[in-house]
Amino acid sequence: MKRLAISLSVCVALLGWTATGHAKRGGGKAAAPAADENAGGEGGDKAAGGEAAPASESLDTTSPEGEPAKIEEEIGGPKAQRPTTTLSWQDIVVVPRKAFIKSGRLELAPIAGITVNDNLIRHYMFAVDLNYFLTDALWVGLQGQYFVKQLSTQAELVGLQFNRISTMNRYLYGGQFNMGYVPVYGKFAWFNRSIVHWEIWALGGIGVTLTENISRDPADQDSKAFKNTALTPSFGIGSRFFLTQWLTVNFALRDYLIIDKYEPLPMGGVACTDSVDCKAKAPGVVVNNFVAYVGVGMYLPTKFSYKTPR
Amino acid sequence: MLLNKHRFALLVALATVAAPLAAQAQRKSPLADAPAIRKRFELRSSRIELGAGAGSTINQDYFHTVMIGARLAYHITDWVSLGLFGNFGVAQVSTGFQGRVIDSLDPAGMRMTNVDREPDKTGAENALQQISSIMGAQLEWTPFTGKYSLFGKLFSAYDFYLVAPGIAAVNVKTAGAVARSCDTAAPQDETNPDKYVCAVKGTKLGGKLGVGFHSFFGQTVALGVELSDVIAQLNPSGRDVNGDGQADKNDLSWTHTLLLTGNLTVYFPSAKISP
Repeated sequence: MKRLAISLSVCVALLGWTATGHAKRGGGKAAAPAADENAGGEGGDKAAGGEAAPASESLDTTSPEGEPAKIEEEIGGPKAQRPTTTLSWQDIVVVPRKAFIKSGRLELAPIAGITVNDNLIRHYMFAVDLNYFLTDALWVGLQGQYFVKQLSTQAELVGLQFNRISTMNRYLYGGQFNMGYVPVYGKFAWFNRSIVHWEIWALGGIGVTLTENISRDPADQDSKAFKNTALTPSFGIGSRFFLTQWLTVNFALRDYLIIDKYEPLPMGGVACTDSVDCKAKAPGVVVNNFVAYVGVGMYLPTKFSYKTPR
Repeated sequence: MLLNKHRFALLVALATVAAPLAAQAQRKSPLADAPAIRKRFELRSSRIELGAGAGSTINQDYFHTVMIGARLAYHITDWVSLGLFGNFGVAQVSTGFQGRVIDSLDPAGMRMTNVDREPDKTGAENALQQISSIMGAQLEWTPFTGKYSLFGKLFSAYDFYLVAPGIAAVNVKTAGAVARSCDTAAPQDETNPDKYVCAVKGTKLGGKLGVGFHSFFGQTVALGVELSDVIAQLNPSGRDVNGDGQADKNDLSWTHTLLLTGNLTVYFPSAKISP
């Protein structure tokens, strides 16, 4: 008998627990008066939520106004499913929040890129961006670059076809200070199954690039080639695709205007004598170095919270 | 008897627990299997796209070809379409690289060295290859569609598409008169300049890959931009490429021609609205 009493007590306790859990999910109409009281008496998000939505979190399919019932008919499918729906007003908003907040966060973005506009020499760029977002649309940042060169086929053919040797520089390292702005924000549907948010940005920067001659005569490389720290303004456009709360994929096309010096041609048949002399006689050039790159943006802190109510 | 009571109590307890869990299992958001966007304009599905515009080759060695063009596409579904395109060269703009190479050659028409393969300035200029037209057909995939805001004020629908695969017929000519076609055998005389140069002419078949986007103005008119890579067997200099000491058809090599085009396109019939 005692065991029976204990069993029944357990049943009652479980019944009470499950009923409480169901009420917390907003499954019962009994929650409506309480929510009304909260809306009127409490501040903060809860009160704001109460203003924006009916007292009950569930759609009231028996509402005399008929509006919620109409919504469910459109969204919930056949009428037979009505009694089981728990579609919440809080699931439906007129203007969804931005999926990703950058303001006050730090972006660490490893980058890999390639120069796209030089016929003779190609540079692979490996870089890291460190950006701080002052607002959601404005940021300042630093970029450090490391370059790896590769001569193009055309650089070899110009000798075979025209009996000429190209004048070229290679890039070693670089650094930039950047300011960026986001003028375009958008979202797209992936085969109409999911929504991805993205943005287009533009930036300008100023920095330096360490360059070095590739001597026309390979025998002169050690004695006459010189390095140059070239002032490098830059500008570019790019985009971010937001994958998670802390991860983006970034694409960009950027023009680094390298104010550089090339190996001088022999003047009057007389070549420069050493690296100092060659650098002094080197003509200045402005090289448009277009780089297309892709990167991954990782954000710190890794999570964010919305400051305004939904 | 006591055992039966216990079993009954246990059954009641299990039913009490299981019933809400079963209900929860049935709880499924009505939005779960819904499309991402409802009641949207079907801007592509079962529509024909007709456009005209202009473009240019980019990243070429010797000439940027400025082109005008047209495009016709039928969008079989919202995300796949079959397109035809034709771009026709109207101007050939010398690249900076061409200028530096050609200007380094002897303007008097003589070789500056005793190296036989070194051309004179006119001979080098005449043999450079130019693109007359690029025409073809392509399959287009449109996985990305959406809308964007510009400065939070202007809103536009857009789509991104991929071109893969495409076939292209590239028609080429030389910049000037060249004594010998690349289809004829090269002279064996080492001192004959014609040994080292030949005319690349005619239509070369190749492939095409690309990406593009449309930005819509309403439901009928859109601005389309496409960046494509046309791959065909060409020889931009008309000179020796494979290093065998002469220029002929064996010097044709698979060459990438990047083409950037913009089109103003019209879609018809009217866009339907999705469920």
